[in-house]
Amino acid sequence: MLVGISLENKLQNTGKPKDCADEMSQALLEVASQRCKRSYAKIFGYFAPRLRSYALKQMGNEALAMEMVQDTMANVWQKAHLFNAEKGSPSTWIFTIARNIRFDMLRKLKNRKEDICSDDLWPVLCEQTPDQNEVSLEEQVTLEQVGLLFNSLPDKQRAVIEAIYIDGKSQQEVADELAIPLGTVKSRTRLALQRLKDMLEDHD
Amino acid sequence: MINYHPTDKQLQQFAEGNISPALALVVSAHCDVCSQCQEKVDDINIELSSVIENVRAHDFKDPAFEKMLASIMHLPVIDTKPVVAPRIELDGRFFDVPRPLQRFVKNTGNWSHLLGKVWQAPVDLGDAGEANFIYMEKGGRVPEHTHKGTELTLVVDGEFSDGLADYDSGDFIIMDNEHIHSPHSNAVEGCLVFSIVDKPLHFTSGIARLLNPFSHLFFK
Repeated sequence: MLVGISLENKLQNTGKPKDCADEMSQALLEVASQRCKRSYAKIFGYFAPRLRSYALKQMGNEALAMEMVQDTMANVWQKAHLFNAEKGSPSTWIFTIARNIRFDMLRKLKNRKEDICSDDLWPVLCEQTPDQNEVSLEEQVTLEQVGLLFNSLPDKQRAVIEAIYIDGKSQQEVADELAIPLGTVKSRTRLALQRLKDMLEDHD
Repeated sequence: MINYHPTDKQLQQFAEGNISPALALVVSAHCDVCSQCQEKVDDINIELSSVIENVRAHDFKDPAFEKMLASIMHLPVIDTKPVVAPRIELDGRFFDVPRPLQRFVKNTGNWSHLLGKVWQAPVDLGDAGEANFIYMEKGGRVPEHTHKGTELTLVVDGEFSDGLADYDSGDFIIMDNEHIHSPHSNAVEGCLVFSIVDKPLHFTSGIARLLNPFSHLFFK
């Protein structure tokens, strides 16, 4: 049970938005500086029931809605020091936290293991602690390997491929430069690409 | 100077969180360096958050709230520390990247030579797919191509042109099968871009068409 803290909900339908924003800003400051439970209860009393209604509309599921409220309000308690009244009102700050939570919840529902998370997209709770989950790069055919394959081409074919693909020359230009017939350039190109394709297939 | 921005609709969907993760990442990175778009998103956030003020609040006497409040206030404060911003390195040159991309610097593989004066480093985005940092040296050119899917590009550092327009650091570019272009950089310092393609490129100029059998390796 809570000791000495009454659940306040009196603000719910009273006060002008500006007064309310000022009062909530002040309460957030007190939570940040003194871990003031009374101030937090005031913030909670105002926002939690609103977030619950909003979340139910968004998620369409009672349990998910309450999870979103829980996670959002936990962030408000734990990271109140990141609220900056100069950057916006408490309701905008809390709304954007809720948006991030919803984005991540939907991502997890889709069962994605590692993905772009809301902290990357909307740094509302910025100065995040670094992510400890290092991800190892999956094994993949790299262009370096393709480069090695290019290097294993016969010199004459490689010269043609490099002139065309690296220097961006036309087949006619290559023919002129190397003083060989255009048909030869074409056949060397064709043979080289066929060879590369074969090597790639062997590689797999 | 930034000339190419996401559309207002894209910014709206971004602020709502109703956008694919890959597109959201590139929009977010753009907003990090474009104060104009960041202000628009801030305004949309204010507008969207009024829904919290105006919604009919759920009955607070629900006992679940009291339980939730008590459990939350047992949680410790989370102290956050500013992190040293990781940077992208290429041949001893370091590039700052927009904040939303910083987490992916450690997921970035080695640079490999792509074509001519063009270099590429793959970035693992998890299930959102793969991105690439692409660096064009002065004079570097990607052969003319169109796109089987969508190509998202953010100019991280430098300038390049593609036959359709000239781009500068911070520009947001979205290309699909209606666009044919050939990115190249004539900037002395070259150009670093961050790019996501969801399907292979399709090379369109006579000779480079021969690359198509391999394009899934080069650009996807």
